[in-house]
Amino acid sequence: MSPESISLELETEGVPSDATNAFLSRILKLPGGDQLLSCIQCGMCSGICPMGYAMDYGPRRMISALRAGRIEDVYRSDAIWLCVACFNCTYRCPVGVPITDRLIAGLREELLGRGVGVPAEMQAAFERTSRYGNPFGESPRKRDAWTKDAGVDVPVLREGDSAEVLWWVGCFGSYNKRNQKDTVALARILDALGVDFGILGSDERCSGDLRCTSQGEEGLFNALYQHNAAELGKRNFKQVLVGDPHAYNALRKEYPRLGTTLSVHHYTQFLADRVSDLARGMKKEITAKVTYHDACCLGRRNGEYEAPRDVLLTIPGIRLVEMPRNRENALCCGGGGGANWLDSFIWQRTRVPLPMQRVQEAAKTGAQVLAISCPLEVPRFEDAIKTSGLEGRLEVREISHMVAEALGLLGGY
Amino acid sequence: MTSREIVVVAEHAAGEVSDITLEMLACAREIAHTVGWHVTCLFLTDDPKPLEALPLASDQTVFVKDPALGPPNPAAYARVLPHVLKDLSARLVLLGNTSTGIDLAGPVSEALGASVVSGCVGIRSAGEQLLFTSRLCGGKLVAQTEVREGIALALVMPGSWNREAGMRDAVPPTGVRVSPVPLATLPVRFLEFVEPKMEDVDVRKVPVLIAAGRGVQSKENLANVEALAKELGGAVCATRPIVDQGWLPRTRQIGRSGMTVKPRLYLALGVSGAPEHVEGMKDSELIVAVNTDPGAPIFDIAHYGTTVDLLDLVPVLTERIKGTRGD
Amino acid sequence: MKIAVLLRQVPDVVEELVIAEDARSLAEDDVMYITNEADEHALEEALVLKARHAARVTAIGVGGEEAKDALAAAIAKGADEAVFVPVPFEHRGDNHRLASVLAPSMKAAGYDLILTGVWAADQLDAGLAGLLGVRLSLPYVGGVVSVAVDAPGTKGTVRKEYPGGRLAVLEVGLPAVLGVQSAEQPPRYVPVSKVAQAKRTLQLTELTEPTVLEMGVRPTKLLKSDPISRAEMLTGDVSQVADQIVRLLRERSLV
Repeated sequence: MSPESISLELETEGVPSDATNAFLSRILKLPGGDQLLSCIQCGMCSGICPMGYAMDYGPRRMISALRAGRIEDVYRSDAIWLCVACFNCTYRCPVGVPITDRLIAGLREELLGRGVGVPAEMQAAFERTSRYGNPFGESPRKRDAWTKDAGVDVPVLREGDSAEVLWWVGCFGSYNKRNQKDTVALARILDALGVDFGILGSDERCSGDLRCTSQGEEGLFNALYQHNAAELGKRNFKQVLVGDPHAYNALRKEYPRLGTTLSVHHYTQFLADRVSDLARGMKKEITAKVTYHDACCLGRRNGEYEAPRDVLLTIPGIRLVEMPRNRENALCCGGGGGANWLDSFIWQRTRVPLPMQRVQEAAKTGAQVLAISCPLEVPRFEDAIKTSGLEGRLEVREISHMVAEALGLLGGY
Repeated sequence: MTSREIVVVAEHAAGEVSDITLEMLACAREIAHTVGWHVTCLFLTDDPKPLEALPLASDQTVFVKDPALGPPNPAAYARVLPHVLKDLSARLVLLGNTSTGIDLAGPVSEALGASVVSGCVGIRSAGEQLLFTSRLCGGKLVAQTEVREGIALALVMPGSWNREAGMRDAVPPTGVRVSPVPLATLPVRFLEFVEPKMEDVDVRKVPVLIAAGRGVQSKENLANVEALAKELGGAVCATRPIVDQGWLPRTRQIGRSGMTVKPRLYLALGVSGAPEHVEGMKDSELIVAVNTDPGAPIFDIAHYGTTVDLLDLVPVLTERIKGTRGD
Repeated sequence: MKIAVLLRQVPDVVEELVIAEDARSLAEDDVMYITNEADEHALEEALVLKARHAARVTAIGVGGEEAKDALAAAIAKGADEAVFVPVPFEHRGDNHRLASVLAPSMKAAGYDLILTGVWAADQLDAGLAGLLGVRLSLPYVGGVVSVAVDAPGTKGTVRKEYPGGRLAVLEVGLPAVLGVQSAEQPPRYVPVSKVAQAKRTLQLTELTEPTVLEMGVRPTKLLKSDPISRAEMLTGDVSQVADQIVRLLRERSLV
């Protein structure tokens, strides 16, 4: 089903005339959903949205259409699939309308339910996640294969096992070849710090946040939650350490909603609590000007801006510079909300890839290194650097990788 | 005394014999050679003339002639074949594991009470027994099957035998017969052929092909592959899943239901090497395969291989090739 | 119009395939099943026809418990009815046996169209669709990529795929059995919540086996295919591999 045929299909599908009411009554019942009616139509959301200029129905207009009982108009728009879940709209809204997670996600859920206009790449990502517990379609049994070449012992916790820290590795960190080196780096850091940790191994499945909560596949998110919550319940641990900010958001914000409350930290927060240990262990200098890109799920969604910077500052030789759009103003890499799978779809409609804008902004600061804390950003920014002709001038590095190098832990890898 | 007759059911179109027919004849010849079996090549057609002078490697060539056997009508073939095969006392029947042969295996085997073995890449006889080797599950499994008695019907995988061995230097004795059954009323009627629109590149004529498989992962990555193809003066082709997604037109599809190509260079990117695809490109002069799975069947037929990530390799390779221009 | 779709489960090759101790089958405990891809296309084509002709679609799931999941997904996608045909593990590849199991009830049901994939990934036997056509004395065409049914519902016009992208247009008298290669559109998405709901409310008719059973061939030996690896593997990092490839191309005057 090509995106171009969406409007045609909907016209003949016969969307029920009370569809708007059906939609609203469903959304209003969800936590925060009732805020949808408090919208003051200020347009802050559409204004701040990085895709706003390409949306014929920006968030403001979507709500306006709902109020007029015209959900059909919104369905016909491509705008629903352009959202990259950067959270700017929700963050800025003066009355706290949960735009990303209730409005956009809710609309997507409606379309998914009808089987209409779901971009094929997204469909494949959902189907693979549902079947194999990861969007790549790799065997679940191979999820912890990366540990073989880690160079340090990575304990896999079985039922009944205990550890202080449960390290939630995540799909990208486990399977994606471009991210595995950063996963190994973090493993070596934890080992060097003497942390009592373990992973779920092949019992871990996608946390679901990336593709599901902001995607409208609540059913899939729930199914993944059921599995993951059960597996977590079988082990004993005091806190959960997460490498991927999307999983961080899911475990921290969404899991309690469904019944599982955990003490969750992103690895930069964990390391920020141990800066003196890190500083003591530094062996190598990394002489570079570094600029840090605030990940949407860590920053705007969860308010963590300083921990990653504190960790970077432990590395000798680093000079930290800021991009104009930093912290809560950071420009999204464009991979959230399933957009990682919708690049061609989005490109056809917007013609300005966000990652390219961002790496150019980074290069303008004079930085040689673009430091990141979210695994999605590695392939996105690396590709953007090549396409922008910045190869050789700017390098993308995950914070864990830089810290591990400075601690002298990356020998032989 | 059990029959020792091998019948190759020929595939042909527009007066030309298909490669699979020659490969099946090569297979039949191999078996016949070891144990003195007899090989018949059987054509169902409305016009034997263009085919009568073929120097096939059979001991005889039989034509069943009827106007209803002109267009490829599976119902007509299925009705005629069992009678003719019985008449020829066939012990081993070879059909192509193709869109034609697959249709016939069920009906023909039922009428003859024959055992069927699909996906054959190897057949040999051991006394009265016939031993078959087949590939299953995308080429990941190999099955060995024995048929000790009765008629065996084997579906032969294209590309498993050398087609040159299906020809020889003399024309075997030929015979033309009429259809043993009436073909006036059939439940299936052939209406017409629809040819693919060739407004696009004809991949069969391009000397350098870069194949995009599932490993390319997204339509966006295709742009990099196109850039590489451009540097090499070639074209991008694809496996079925890529075409099914709409990322490239069907005229770029290589394999059993797509094009068969023999370029000077076939660079397979993220292609697993399933038999249906390999059929269409195995004769390429130089095959280089890029796949992160070291167990991918593509490495069985590639000349060179690498397990580096194609997404990393493609841009680097494009740059290096650009660089060679200066020399 | 009544349409039946046969959905078979085949071993999922994403997972490691393990040979059983008898060396002639897969180890039952290690097999992960997935619906045969061509059968998914058959279901999609049936649903397309359902929308066009207000037909009734019966999904027939063959295999073990996992076949019930496939039936729930089929209902969630829009099939009207689900029939479960349990087949013991050791017989799952035997299309002759399956055709004889299915034939009596399918004949009695009087379907206008029976659709299933033209091929299954694990198929050693003849194609199920063709065998079923014979058992039911119905015309059969395989390799189908589109189906059109005339107004009275007595004739179908199908497109059959040949190599090179060529299509043959054939007219088939109904009722008929069709072996689907691919549907007119890619198999549709159905959200997990819908499938979960279908599972909860699933009403299955279970087929009991008739006593007369025939057998197709069984392998005497099953092996994992060795990567015979004719390929000479290029080693090193991306940069080194790229250099080696350029060298290979230069040697052949390709650059």
